[in-house]
Amino acid sequence: MIKGLKARNPASLDYLYDHYSAAMYGIITRVVKNKDVAEEVLQDVFLKIWDKIDAYDSSKGKLFTWMLNIARNQAIDKTRSKEISKGRKTDDIDNLVGKIDKADYSEQNVEAIGLSEVLAKLNNDQRFVIEKLYLEGYTQSEVAEEFNIPLGTVKTRTRMAMIELRTILKVN
Amino acid sequence: MNIQEYISTGILEAYVLGELTEAERAQVEKNISMSPELKAELSKVEETLEAFAMKSAIKPRAEVKAAIMDKIPGASKIVSRQENAETKVVELSTQFNYWKYAAAASIAFALLTSYLAFNYHQRWVDTQANLNNLITQNQQMAQNYNTVNHKLDKIQNDLSIIESIAFTKVVLKGTSNEPEALAAIYWNTATEEVFLSVQELKGISKENQFQLWAIIDGQPVDAGVFDGNFAGLLKMKNIKGAVAFAVTVEPRGGKESPTLETMRLMGPVAKS
Repeated sequence: MIKGLKARNPASLDYLYDHYSAAMYGIITRVVKNKDVAEEVLQDVFLKIWDKIDAYDSSKGKLFTWMLNIARNQAIDKTRSKEISKGRKTDDIDNLVGKIDKADYSEQNVEAIGLSEVLAKLNNDQRFVIEKLYLEGYTQSEVAEEFNIPLGTVKTRTRMAMIELRTILKVN
Repeated sequence: MNIQEYISTGILEAYVLGELTEAERAQVEKNISMSPELKAELSKVEETLEAFAMKSAIKPRAEVKAAIMDKIPGASKIVSRQENAETKVVELSTQFNYWKYAAAASIAFALLTSYLAFNYHQRWVDTQANLNNLITQNQQMAQNYNTVNHKLDKIQNDLSIIESIAFTKVVLKGTSNEPEALAAIYWNTATEEVFLSVQELKGISKENQFQLWAIIDGQPVDAGVFDGNFAGLLKMKNIKGAVAFAVTVEPRGGKESPTLETMRLMGPVAKS
């Protein structure tokens, strides 16, 4: 499929979209918190993937990781450009996770537990970093700076949270 | 630092999240290429991230895909062809969309039919009211027709009496009490029927009535009472062998013998 993308075969992009657009749109929507903006970002992301696929190097990581980073960065850039304050993000987040999770639930019909149940299984510190990094579009250094946590601690907490998620999400 | 310590710093997560500087990235990439253990761990971190992203997935609207494919040269045909072969998640979503459209269509249909029902109900009510009006008008017309018809019958009947040679006309003229008064009697001597026709006669109070008298053998005989306000001919009591007729004013209901002072009309029967 990566070959197809690099050969500029539209069918490959089509396949990619069908499999991964929802995962990326989920992250984007949570970061930008606006449906119209999120749709716009999702479009930009796929066009960027199409244009920059030659820059992807499979030896450095999975295609999904590469795409997700494009999506996350694009969403964060959009948020910055809109000068949305961090304060507002923090106020809205509890509401947003629950709300989006419900929407997600009905549309995706996931067989397992929902996002808020997943987050509920993490301890407070772990949940905090995951929410900031994945759902609110903070970078690790921003979390460190804004909440007075040493960057190293943010990184190890991220690590611990990811290990926890590995079990919860049954990744091998 | 051994590999486990290196991993436990969270460097791989930071790498996967794109949090590292160019130099740090390059270092991680170099380490990965040299250590299968590190490479395997990176895969797990990536898989976890992917699983988490899938868990938090939200399906975008179908229009977004169309908008993207529109901007990819030669992709628009693919979209329509590929849509049939979409994954299970997408099938669910298509089905969901179908139900959305079906629901929307049902609601639209319900609204439309409600509106039409209301509209037709209004029209029905209006029509009902119009019909009632017409029925009332029709009844009124029928009543009027009957009245007119009845009057016509009477006039024809009266006319037949007036024109009939079987009836003798007796002209009653006003007395000194009311000189300009004028009336006529149509009398069938064979059947003894008496009809009265008033041309001119002043009204009287409600307590009183006019009374017609027939003079038979020099004696006044009661021929019936009447009020002044009638049209055409009025049938009076049958009379036999009268030589004259007279009208007096008497208390309502009449009397047995006339009050001569109140006589208004008088006329003799012409000798045949």
